[in-house]
Amino acid sequence: MTSQDVNIGRNIRRMGAVEKVTGEALYPGDIDLKNQLWMKIRFSDRAHARITAIDTRQAEAHPGVVAVFTAADVPVNEYGLLIPDQPVLCGPGSSKPGADIVRCISDQVAVVVAETEQAAAAAVYLIDITYEDLPVVTDVFAAMADSAPQLHAEVENNIQTHYRIRHGDIEQGWAQADVIVEGEYITGHQEHAYLQPEAGLSYLDDEGRVTVVVAGQWVHEDQEQVAHALGLEHDQVRVIYPNIGGAFGGREDMSVQIVLGLAAKKLQRPVKIIWSREESIIGHHKRHPITIHARWGATRDGKLVAAEAEVFGDAGAYAYTTPKVMGNAHLMVCGPYEIPNAKVDTYGVYTNNVPSGAFRGFGGPQAAFAAECQMNKLAEALGMDPVELRLRNVLRDDSVMVVGTPLPPGVTLDRVLAEGAVESGFWQRSGDRWQRVPPNPAPDSTRRRGTGVAMGFKNIGFSFGYQENSWAEIELHGQAQIERVVVRQAGADVGQGAHTAFQQMAAEAVGVPVEKVEVVSHDTAFTGNSGSASASRMTFMAGNAIRGAAEAALEKWTQEDRPAIGTYTYLAPKTSPFDPETGQATPNFAYGYVAQFVEVEVDVETGQVEVLRVSSAHDVGKAINPRLIEGQVEGGVVQALGYAVMENLVTRDGMILNPYLSTYLIPTVWDIPHEVQSIILEYADPRGPWGARGMAEMPYIPLAPAIASALHDATGVWFDRVPLTPETIVMKLREHGIGVI
Amino acid sequence: MQLWNRYFLASSVDETLELLLQYDGQARIIAGGTDLLIEMREGHRPPQPVLVDITAIPALTTIEQDNDQIILGACVTHARITHSTALQKRATCLVESCGVVGGPQVRNVGTIGGNVAHALPAGDGTTSLVALDAEAEVVIDGERHWRPILELFQGPGVSLLDSTRDLLVRFRFQAHQPHEGSAFDRIMRPQGVALPILGCAVWVRLNADNSHYEAARICIAPVGPTPRRITAVENMLAGCPATEDTLEAAVALAQEVIKPRTSKYRATAPYRSEMVAVLLRRALPAAVERAKTTMPVTSQ
Ligand SMILES: Cc1cc2nc3c(=O)[nH]c(=O)nc-3n(C[C@H](O)[C@H](O)[C@H](O)COP(=O)(O)OP(=O)(O)OC[C@H]3O[C@@H](n4cnc5c(N)ncnc54)[C@H](O)[C@@H]3O)c2cc1C
Repeated sequence: MTSQDVNIGRNIRRMGAVEKVTGEALYPGDIDLKNQLWMKIRFSDRAHARITAIDTRQAEAHPGVVAVFTAADVPVNEYGLLIPDQPVLCGPGSSKPGADIVRCISDQVAVVVAETEQAAAAAVYLIDITYEDLPVVTDVFAAMADSAPQLHAEVENNIQTHYRIRHGDIEQGWAQADVIVEGEYITGHQEHAYLQPEAGLSYLDDEGRVTVVVAGQWVHEDQEQVAHALGLEHDQVRVIYPNIGGAFGGREDMSVQIVLGLAAKKLQRPVKIIWSREESIIGHHKRHPITIHARWGATRDGKLVAAEAEVFGDAGAYAYTTPKVMGNAHLMVCGPYEIPNAKVDTYGVYTNNVPSGAFRGFGGPQAAFAAECQMNKLAEALGMDPVELRLRNVLRDDSVMVVGTPLPPGVTLDRVLAEGAVESGFWQRSGDRWQRVPPNPAPDSTRRRGTGVAMGFKNIGFSFGYQENSWAEIELHGQAQIERVVVRQAGADVGQGAHTAFQQMAAEAVGVPVEKVEVVSHDTAFTGNSGSASASRMTFMAGNAIRGAAEAALEKWTQEDRPAIGTYTYLAPKTSPFDPETGQATPNFAYGYVAQFVEVEVDVETGQVEVLRVSSAHDVGKAINPRLIEGQVEGGVVQALGYAVMENLVTRDGMILNPYLSTYLIPTVWDIPHEVQSIILEYADPRGPWGARGMAEMPYIPLAPAIASALHDATGVWFDRVPLTPETIVMKLREHGIGVI
Repeated sequence: MQLWNRYFLASSVDETLELLLQYDGQARIIAGGTDLLIEMREGHRPPQPVLVDITAIPALTTIEQDNDQIILGACVTHARITHSTALQKRATCLVESCGVVGGPQVRNVGTIGGNVAHALPAGDGTTSLVALDAEAEVVIDGERHWRPILELFQGPGVSLLDSTRDLLVRFRFQAHQPHEGSAFDRIMRPQGVALPILGCAVWVRLNADNSHYEAARICIAPVGPTPRRITAVENMLAGCPATEDTLEAAVALAQEVIKPRTSKYRATAPYRSEMVAVLLRRALPAAVERAKTTMPVTSQ
């Protein structure tokens, strides 16, 4: 039986949609257990200091308080996704040297556990902490200086990461260049601002396992981190996700998981915590602020011949995923273009700011901001249409990237750009010539309109030499016919609808209608390791695993096994890390491609920017569920719009001055574009399940430079910095004599 | 988190005052709660043993027009002000300012009295009431009397009223007459989850042939710890022709006399100063245009 396009390519309603809309769906904070205790965390009051003493007596004496835990109570007092460089709790008496130092305000110092939330909240401030202040460094360039305080013992000049690219002959490249453009691009912090602030519970389950119920992105990684810090074997720790209220990379690192497990284990009672929005903003990492110096050269007929860049990322106080995020920025700062000569140096630098880490796009948006602004400036300098210039330079199947290797087969950047440009209605073509369609006139003379373009690419899945893998199991029930299918796949449904896609792909692979498929997920007790819901990888990786498992199960089914069970671990094609000297690498095994076209209106007197229309063109390979894809496009565009024009995390000396959503402004329904058009193209990825590529980060990547391009179209001024707050726009426009009467 | 122990829904002004007296500083007035509850949740104000809700008191929730005078209960919500046809014609700036407060949810419960009682330097409704030269009827120390609105503001967030003892009852101000008009504008993203970067309310009265300013009142906020009028510009306008040149002279003078401050995360002083000019150039001509078409108040 062939069921192609019966189950996939369809707008199946997402699992749990009704429960979420009616409020029945339970998120971690909604769950209560009998006899539960409440936890409150005392964060560091300083950005950099040595804790010489912690006096917990007053807190312990507070009515209702059951226990106070500090560094001395943590068996293996360290954690970190890539490098365990952060203490679980900072303070004296730790099992790990150097853990008596707080390096940022996200550091946790102590936890109070009490019978009620109020008692815990009141007692947490009764903990008396004696700090010995250390010099604070919050600027990346200052942190790299020889005189700077060193945050981590083995890391000289605080340079956590340094990558190079030396491709072709850069001097020859400059010699060939007729036109050179240069820019310094600065991007800011961004807060994930997921709807559901961190929350969770921990208890000992009936098998005595330390069980942690939270919202995360990868149950098995959480299990690993908790087990490591508590000095337990993996199978003594269990991690369960109920509904997850958004993640965007912000739930990759630990927040409440370890301390909850610690308390439940010590006290043998359930323990619960809910962070306020302020705690969430202070307590978890942010998008990396990155400064990029870029210099690109092209010949008069629009061929790129040289690109040079220096990329400086603020890692904050701990590594988190900085090596990988900066690796992505490093790869993408030359854009998805063929450039024969390139020289790039990329740094990730420790400072006393809140840590930087994973956030939708993972270094790609910052790099794209520089690369795409460079392309738009080059187009202007050459007197060439920006779409046309890109089409002359985009990577194709036979091109070589600046890391010396081609993209995996199935490169469609040219088609995404050209088809998107036409379909959006923002550009028109005649033969090889491209031209902007002028925007509608603005309603009055203080407002101006412009259109802009930018494009991007982003890896799918974990890369740089990591053997990417994902596990799935399929169980077929019934006798003569398959009556019920159970698919086990741990991949997190963080709100993007991954489980619905799993259901559709499992139904397709087995050849039954989706109604017969049940998804079991989010629990280390019942699933193997399926990897993280990140890097736009879930559909691609889980799909391949589900296909393999279905094949195995169907094989067993024909052998009359009842139920027939098939298990499969998909191993993605191998990748390799950057060569330390030249940057040569096969960094990734799959990519998604995107091009965006936007229309903006700017009030030149006040600097207020309104993004009127966005067309976002994507090669998704195969749309498993088109409506879910539209959801990702619209959500990604709105999130990137916040990044580009609104979201302004204000920090001073490592402190966050606006840890509230009343002062850290994110888009509301009144700030979003009047129209977001999703242009979904389906050019199969030969390695993807049914040809599917990942797509969830793509709509985020080019929006900021597309807006900058449209602002230039509207005003003639280049903006090299995000967020484009009204204030920064006005000041820049006034420099050019615009908006003054 | 528990923010209060007892909650009373008062049905009259007297009952409110009795409750406040009885709890002797332990009870606090709550209107829409859109400022108060957030302050308590964010820990800027301790949880309150007793809250007295005044939004069901009939006398506090009416909009009345008594010939040329408008009387506005303290508990009238921003949404009701926005939708009042009488106020649209007779207190245009107030309607415009209340129409941009927060989002629909905030406007549906937030009150004009709460906006004033909170005493922030840039409450939008407050800015317009100042330009309308409103008076507030208050009960302070058991005494009920009318006060000029500006007397209520003692510092940022500090009111003459102690909302654990005193009550703001209502406001009164002159309805726009022929040759009078007003306008409000502000700098802020459309979403308004917070106070504006800068707000500006203007009221003008023109002479009989609408060629000259007879009088003007201007409030631009925040430019200091409390709301205040820009009297230097008001005085300059009186008697001047309603022309572009006068407008530019007013803008120049405003930029000279107003010294806005930099706030941590909202805006820098130079941007605000630039926006003083932008707002005045928008609001003043709008008020003038409206003044030319205002009809006499007929007895309704
Ligand atoms: C999301 C959001 C957005 C907002 N946006 C804006 C905005 O754009 N512009 C703006 O100006 N404001 C804004 N606000 C602030 C607030 O909504 C307004 O100031 C509102 O008018 C306050 O009225 P309330 O009835 O909610 O006051 P409450 O919170 O009930 O009270 C505020 C204070 O005044 C006291 N009080 C209230 N009424 C009386 C009375 N009659 N007598 C004595 N004391 C009294 C209370 O005890 C309390 O101390 C916003 C608030 C939120 C939550």
